[in-house]
Amino acid sequence: MTEDKDRNETPQGQAAEERGDYVTHAKSIGSWLFSLDHKRIGILYAVTVAIAFLLGGVFALLVRAELLSPGEDFLSAQSYNQMFSLHGIVMVFGFIIPAIPGFLGNFLLPLHLGAKDVAFPRLNLASYYLYLLGVALILVAMVAGSVDTGWTFYTPYSARTGPSVLFLTMAVFIAGFASIFTGINFIVTVHKMRAPGMTWNRLPLFVWSIYSTSIVQVLATPVLGITVLLLFLERLLHIGIFDPALGGDPILFQHFFWFYSHPAVYIMILPGFGIVSELIATFSRQRIYGYMAIALSSVAIALLGFLVWGHHMFVAGQSVVSSVIFSLITYLIGIPSGIKVFNWIATMYKGSISFKTPMLYALSFLVLFTIGGVTGIMVGVLAVDVHLHDTYYVVGHFHYVMVGGTTIALLGGLHYWWPKITGRLYNEAAGRLAALLVFVGLNLTFFTQLVMGSRGMPRRYNDYLPEFTFLHQLSTVGSWIMGAGLFLVAIYLLVSLFRGKKAGANPWGGATLEWTHTGPRPDPHNFHRTPFVTRGPYEFDRIPELVAAHRDETPPDAQQNVHLNQDRT
Amino acid sequence: MANTSAAEQAAQERSLAHLKHYFVSSDQQFDAAKMGMWLFLVTEVLLFSGMFVAYAVYRVWYPEVFAVASTELNPWLGGLNTVILLGSSLTVALAIHAAQTDKRRALVVNLFVTVLLAAAFMVVKYFEYTHKFHLGIFPGEHFAYEEMGQRIVPIFFSIYYVMTGIHGVHVLVGIGVLTWLALRAMRGHFHSGYYTPVELAGLYWHLVDIIWIFLFPLLYLI
Amino acid sequence: MKGHHITSRTTLLKVFVALVALTALTALTAQIDIGVFNIPLALAIAGSKALLVALFFMALKYDKPVNALFFALGVLFVVVFLTFTLFDTAFRGDLGNVGKETIHSMEEGAEE
Repeated sequence: MTEDKDRNETPQGQAAEERGDYVTHAKSIGSWLFSLDHKRIGILYAVTVAIAFLLGGVFALLVRAELLSPGEDFLSAQSYNQMFSLHGIVMVFGFIIPAIPGFLGNFLLPLHLGAKDVAFPRLNLASYYLYLLGVALILVAMVAGSVDTGWTFYTPYSARTGPSVLFLTMAVFIAGFASIFTGINFIVTVHKMRAPGMTWNRLPLFVWSIYSTSIVQVLATPVLGITVLLLFLERLLHIGIFDPALGGDPILFQHFFWFYSHPAVYIMILPGFGIVSELIATFSRQRIYGYMAIALSSVAIALLGFLVWGHHMFVAGQSVVSSVIFSLITYLIGIPSGIKVFNWIATMYKGSISFKTPMLYALSFLVLFTIGGVTGIMVGVLAVDVHLHDTYYVVGHFHYVMVGGTTIALLGGLHYWWPKITGRLYNEAAGRLAALLVFVGLNLTFFTQLVMGSRGMPRRYNDYLPEFTFLHQLSTVGSWIMGAGLFLVAIYLLVSLFRGKKAGANPWGGATLEWTHTGPRPDPHNFHRTPFVTRGPYEFDRIPELVAAHRDETPPDAQQNVHLNQDRT
Repeated sequence: MANTSAAEQAAQERSLAHLKHYFVSSDQQFDAAKMGMWLFLVTEVLLFSGMFVAYAVYRVWYPEVFAVASTELNPWLGGLNTVILLGSSLTVALAIHAAQTDKRRALVVNLFVTVLLAAAFMVVKYFEYTHKFHLGIFPGEHFAYEEMGQRIVPIFFSIYYVMTGIHGVHVLVGIGVLTWLALRAMRGHFHSGYYTPVELAGLYWHLVDIIWIFLFPLLYLI
Repeated sequence: MKGHHITSRTTLLKVFVALVALTALTALTAQIDIGVFNIPLALAIAGSKALLVALFFMALKYDKPVNALFFALGVLFVVVFLTFTLFDTAFRGDLGNVGKETIHSMEEGAEE
């Protein structure tokens, strides 16, 4: 094996030192757009995802602004429908599904594993461009007009409404493939690309969560593919499988759709769990309490998530037998989620907690995700859901999980790894202020929606009864506060790119490999030498010696032990 | 890997030409590619599962209609196609055997025979489809065959067309990939030290076969 | 490559013969009506054919177990998808008189 190793490592190790880090070693636009480097592809995702988030956010603000007062204000009923449909579609398929795996997952996974790259770098780039094409087609459908189906494309309406549904189904099909390929790539990477000594119980929890996410992506997304393909054919050839006018069954479409889309909400939230685990460990200076419990609960959520899709269909007309089964299994999801929350809290217990911006987001996450989770159990209760279905309660629940959970975790992760990605520090005071604004705005926006929903305010309406006016106005004001907070984040992060203080290699004292074994910004090939891992990801007491050892460039035993890399399942 | 004989080392030298820099060894690269392919096959299985679910749902609802409608399909042609695909699976397995044992000629011949069998499958499919179009058996709304019920029978044929159609697309993709590999094999790109693409294409082709193994009895025989 | 299992040509041929025989068997058994067992029998034969292909042609038998695990996981989730959907469609309308029989009764009449 040594000859392979020599051939691979020595020349590149030297070249990397001469070339500079992953940002400065090549400067042309092409070197970014067609890079096979997982870190640069991660940045490409970051930029695209940020644009999608901006677009989806503007749509959301428009929807909220229209709801500032009852009656039609500045959007017609039709354009209101388009607005919330686009908000949903852009946010779900353009932002929240690819955001954490595409951006942080790509950037960090090989670094966390001690690998040079993902297993299939070309496939990785292809995934990005498929995703980009998907988003572009969504925008084409938007310009072509009249996408008013919501993000769920329920038949028979989607089989009959405007032709841009054709574009949308194509867009979703293509974006789905991007997601599948990313999932395959990451699973193989975790199995096959780990550095010597990086055993399964030394993986950072972020890796475990990305791994679980990838399993869901691989198992669920193909069903979305066939669903939109059948919808496409339904529109094109009127094959009648979902169209009641032709003898088909529209509820079957909902089964197909939710077989993907319920697991998909775990695609959205699981990576967030991983980020929060990293943040809480680092900023509490504690080994994670219950490492295996957190790791395996991610896998459990991933698999259990496939057995509960029917709780979206309690009032759709499915059989009562299946409703009861789906409702019961839905409660079970609460168990692994609870395990995580308790373990995170136990990790903080007696830790030396520092309230840096990323930690503020992690703490927000604990509060907000708990609200999101508990309201989720409530809508999972069969009898209660009959009352709450299709009200703002569901909207509030969903956004507590997706914004309060995933987006907050993403923001926390963005701040935490910003120094590693850019080599710069942002303004801490501004960061804390923004975290506060987002937290307050988010609760104001969505808690009012929970209240409205429990009082019977239906979702998707552009108009409402006068007694809801005050709550709707509070919600809209909340959306402005949240928007202001996010705007502030964008500004100080952009400023830090040019004027931020230089960050060292390990500004937070993190213990995972990207902090201890790479420079302020990683090299094009990540590590000068393949790390030899001898410890778990949260052994903070050993950081000083590790960093010192890294500076001396004398990794112990690394030479003899590279052959451990093989024959791993 | 440690105590390799001279011959094996020579084979390894050749294989190193294909070794990507981010892998440590050819074995790691091969295993990674193969695992990726298996995961891709899992996604293929789940892609087809949607159609099988649709089939099962409507069959449970309308067993008699399905029984009657399936008599329009010719089990002899379906059986012929089954044997053709099974044969092509055999030849692709033999092709991999040839690659593993460094028999270039056998590799090329087996790959081309596989392509021919796949093409034969599509020819049979073409005759089946055109016969049905001739009778006015179109999917869904365009169904114009007066001998049978007009409500649920079209859904049977919608499912038939979608299932066999998407399967057919997979066969066409397979033809393209296998032809490309056969041409590369002629130029000596594969040997016992490096035959990953042949192995992966073989796995894909066997899956296409497996799908058809289920389609044949479900559509033609019951 | 060293360590790769090479399935012998005789094994491959034997498997092929078995597959063709099973195809003939399923075609034959389809001719006789055994009521509710028609589909299970056909699926059992198809399943064993698929298993033969997977184990020998695809060499899962000699491969790293993790690949078989992934494939089995995929098949398991197909079963989940199928069963849980049938929990609905096979019991549709179990509450009140809104079953598919009611909805489709006129259409079925038109069909016969």
